[in-house]
Amino acid sequence: MKTRATFLIVISIFFACEERIDVPLQSKDTELLAVEGVLSNENINHKVKLTLPYQLINGKGAPASGAVVLVAEENSEIYTLSEQPVGSGEYYTPMFRAIFGEVYTLYILYQGKEYVAQDSSVPVEPLTPLDYRRVNDQYTLVISENGESANYIDHSISWKNTPACLPDSSCEGRIVFYDLKSIDVNEIAKPGKTEFLFPAGSTIIRKKHSVSAAYRSFLRSVLSETEWRGGVFDVDRVNATTNLSPGAIGFFAVTTVVSDTTLVVEKP
Amino acid sequence: MIRIAPLFYCLLLMIVAHSVVAQTIPDVKITLNANGISLAEVLEEISQKSKIRFSYNPKRIQSDQTISYKAIEKSLLEILDDLGNQFEFQYSLVEDQFILKPAKKIEKPAEQLVTLSGYIKDSANGEALIGSTIFIEELKAGASTNAYGFFSITLPKGEYEIKASFIGFKPFNKSLDLQTSIQQNILLTEEPPILQEVIVTGSRDEVVGEIQVSKINVRPRTVEERPALFGEMDVIKSLESVPGIKLQSDGSTFYYVRGGNRDQNLVLIDDSPIYNPSHLLGIFSTIIPDAITDINIYRGDMPASFGGRLSSVLDIHTKKGNDQHMQMWGNVGLASTKLGIEGPLKKDVSSFLVSGRFSRLQWLFQNIDPNIQQFRFHDLTGKMNFKLDSKNRIFFSFYTGSDNYFSGNNGINWTNTAGTFRWNHLFSNRLFVNTTLSASGYDYYLYTNVARQQRWNSHIGNVNLKTDFSYFIKPQNELMFGLGLNGYNFNPGNLEDGLTNQVVSNLSVRNSTEFVLYANHEVALNKRWGLKYGVRVSTWTNTGEAFEFKFDANRNPIDTLVFEKGDPYITYVRAEPRITIQYLINEHTSLKGSYARNVQNVHLISNSISPFTSLDVWLPSSFNIRPQISDQFTLGSYHQFAEAGVSLVAEGFYKKMYNQIDYETHAETLLNPFLESELRFGTAQAYGIELQAKKDEGRLRGMVGYSYARAKRQFADLNQGQSFNAFSDRPHQFNLTAAYDVNMRWTINMNWNYLSGTPYSSPVSFYSYNGIEVPIYGQRNNDRLPDYHRLDVSASLKLNKNAEKKFRHNLTFSVFNLYGRKNPLFINYNKTQLSERDFKIPSNLLESERAISQFYLFQVTPSISYNFKWR
Repeated sequence: MKTRATFLIVISIFFACEERIDVPLQSKDTELLAVEGVLSNENINHKVKLTLPYQLINGKGAPASGAVVLVAEENSEIYTLSEQPVGSGEYYTPMFRAIFGEVYTLYILYQGKEYVAQDSSVPVEPLTPLDYRRVNDQYTLVISENGESANYIDHSISWKNTPACLPDSSCEGRIVFYDLKSIDVNEIAKPGKTEFLFPAGSTIIRKKHSVSAAYRSFLRSVLSETEWRGGVFDVDRVNATTNLSPGAIGFFAVTTVVSDTTLVVEKP
Repeated sequence: MIRIAPLFYCLLLMIVAHSVVAQTIPDVKITLNANGISLAEVLEEISQKSKIRFSYNPKRIQSDQTISYKAIEKSLLEILDDLGNQFEFQYSLVEDQFILKPAKKIEKPAEQLVTLSGYIKDSANGEALIGSTIFIEELKAGASTNAYGFFSITLPKGEYEIKASFIGFKPFNKSLDLQTSIQQNILLTEEPPILQEVIVTGSRDEVVGEIQVSKINVRPRTVEERPALFGEMDVIKSLESVPGIKLQSDGSTFYYVRGGNRDQNLVLIDDSPIYNPSHLLGIFSTIIPDAITDINIYRGDMPASFGGRLSSVLDIHTKKGNDQHMQMWGNVGLASTKLGIEGPLKKDVSSFLVSGRFSRLQWLFQNIDPNIQQFRFHDLTGKMNFKLDSKNRIFFSFYTGSDNYFSGNNGINWTNTAGTFRWNHLFSNRLFVNTTLSASGYDYYLYTNVARQQRWNSHIGNVNLKTDFSYFIKPQNELMFGLGLNGYNFNPGNLEDGLTNQVVSNLSVRNSTEFVLYANHEVALNKRWGLKYGVRVSTWTNTGEAFEFKFDANRNPIDTLVFEKGDPYITYVRAEPRITIQYLINEHTSLKGSYARNVQNVHLISNSISPFTSLDVWLPSSFNIRPQISDQFTLGSYHQFAEAGVSLVAEGFYKKMYNQIDYETHAETLLNPFLESELRFGTAQAYGIELQAKKDEGRLRGMVGYSYARAKRQFADLNQGQSFNAFSDRPHQFNLTAAYDVNMRWTINMNWNYLSGTPYSSPVSFYSYNGIEVPIYGQRNNDRLPDYHRLDVSASLKLNKNAEKKFRHNLTFSVFNLYGRKNPLFINYNKTQLSERDFKIPSNLLESERAISQFYLFQVTPSISYNFKWR
């Protein structure tokens, strides 16, 4: 069912124009706590990041420091997260592996208010071989949907250790490909994305995350307001969903992850 | 003879009585020259000159009415007769003073009445002149023609001066001695083009005299003259000049009427509904004026014969075809070519009309993108009519329009189809019957694999059978009633595989039937008061084969109900009363008030805010969707400046709408079996004032309109239950359209529109999630896009020096959006700027500098089109 309506892009190129506009935002302090937390089946220190919303585009959320953050495994362990470094708003668990199917509960106590969220992981399908194609002297990822389950693949790309890395440039990139198996009007006519190019010799670490039903719903709503917005079939603007209790936004997710690493080699 | 005898004696008695009075009246000759003074003052002057006093009750005799009356050496009796006739009083001489009393109405026996009926038509082509008027000077009474050009007026036997008129046509005058009921067809001839200002006089203007509010008649000529994008004359787009009707934006055929949603507008072509009147996503509409004879738009107070939508009815009648001679016309523009041909099958008896429009954009788009396989749209309209005898006529008409855009292995296609068969029958000169059998359908296809014919399809179709009766009881006393049976079929969007003929039915196909009864009585109560009242009763029933889901309070599915083929399973009976009252202040000014309830059982399910045609889904009222209802109150003042030919309308309205549909946050509306659980229900209200001045004829013609209106919605589950601005809440609207004949060959036209910006939700803050900047919204629709305004101009040159030539052609030069206003459709907060006009979503989440950008369509767009007509 999923398709990109390329003729819509042609129409918009022919008839439409897009240009910068200077309009003031009706910004206001929302008094919300933004939560970004993901537990996975990897044996690592899992991170929960707490920030305060910011009011200008391209801004950065101030860290929500000094919170008490706990993760409770269903009828089992309770993990206390510690803020590292202090003042960063980033809270880490002790090393552990999130168990498939187990329900995890996140508790946050921040400035006298308590916030709670729950999620559990679903299985992930294996990664298919990474594909990329040559564009002039560089390469770009070729990604397509596959499998049956909703997922997203996080690509961390680095060429820091290659001669192509010029001084004063970051020489790294991060591309996330969402495959939510949803069918949305605005996704069909979503706007184009920039093409990210990297040189031969780059390493690409891929992590494929499974997505629970609630997480899928959240990601779909986030994409509706971001990556899919700005095409010719836009839908009503509304806040992204959340699994956090009132007063907080964002999502606490538990996922199953598979990963691999690829070295980009020269291709004709 | 037996029946005539009492009348004879009665008349004899009156004459004798009158003679007795006359004998006692002093033989005084009086000269009077009253100009714009009251009757009381005239009587006072007569009293002074004749030395005879008058006695009357000012509450019963209209003595404050002004009069212009001239008499030179006339007898007192003659003067009193003249005044008595005009002010409806009778007089008697009692003890040297005249006693004035209201004249007694003489009950005339039924056999004294005769009926004059017939059709008023254009002499050039036999087309019915809908809404033309016939006026009986002696009775100061008249009637107007119905949608088929038919009129009927019942009046006492006698000799009358008959006047017929229609704007833009030469008036018709004829003396008729009506001793029996007759059919008299009237042919009016179009006024030749002249450059002098036309002084319009005569019978009362329709806007003032009709017992109807919130109706605007748009003349096809007005649409043709209007500057248009790429020279594509467009009925739907022309509605933006009507106060209270708000087009969504450039490139859109969606319009909103008095705070209603876009699915609350019924578009009828020859009584068949058109569900998506758009081409090229909405850049053009399907409805072009070439084959149209009459356009009426009702923003409220819809006649009881119309129903099924809350906010408006756009009632379009196509030409029946020239029954006098062959005629051909055409147009070549930048985007399309049009061609039409019409003529008699048998002169005066039958005729046909065929017209088509075909886009010529494909080659252009294929040059831009060679992957494009199809990029085209077309319309085809046809009509035939046959006059079987003086009492029977039949009409066939059809319309089909289609859009096809295919690139690579995917594409979209949508098709509107409509067909109508009508039978006009005269049971008598006073009872006109129209029976219509019509069918229409709308299909939308999204092809995901053209080779395999895999596609998503949504469909709505209907078959209607209805009979409308018009009974002309007396002049200005008409009863309309009728009944109808409608069948509907809905496919709310399912996947099909053309190769295997397999259909994945996530959503049940629905079938519904609707039985409708209506009656409407329109009557002039006296010279000042008019009343129209009626009711429409509809019975809506869904029938199997179908399945429906039931949901609990948390919208979780709890049951699946399966219905066998033909099983009725839910019924809604709704009554829609309506009443309109008219008060004529004088011949050229009236006040009107109206209340109307409307019910809607077909619902467009779409949370799109895009101005373009997208993947629309229609559903009927059912377990989870109750019928939408509206109550609308309207008050208006209507005035005609007869000599200037200008009508002025001021209306205020209040509209409350119930069972309005909105959507859960990020509702999934495609292929979602539990689609109905995504719907939320609430109320909406709208109120406002609309002012409009219109001049249809003359060297300078046009329309000026202003409206101030608000539209709010309230849903328990949305926006924390608080009321919010509706998408169509655009308070200020100002429109100006004008056409001016510079000389016999050049006409210039302009059109300027201003609208407050469309409400939308702008971010009040942001947060970051997984490297994405996610907007946070506050109150729904807290912000507005910049105000919309646009000026279009055009100039049309007649290429013939001799206007009487059979082949006439002209060139039209137009500029859409002359001053290049950038009217944004969307404002985006999520794209990165690559070059001046290239904005994309950033791929690399580590480096993304986003900008606020506006997305807009046409700036200064010049065009040229060539039109011809051969007759």
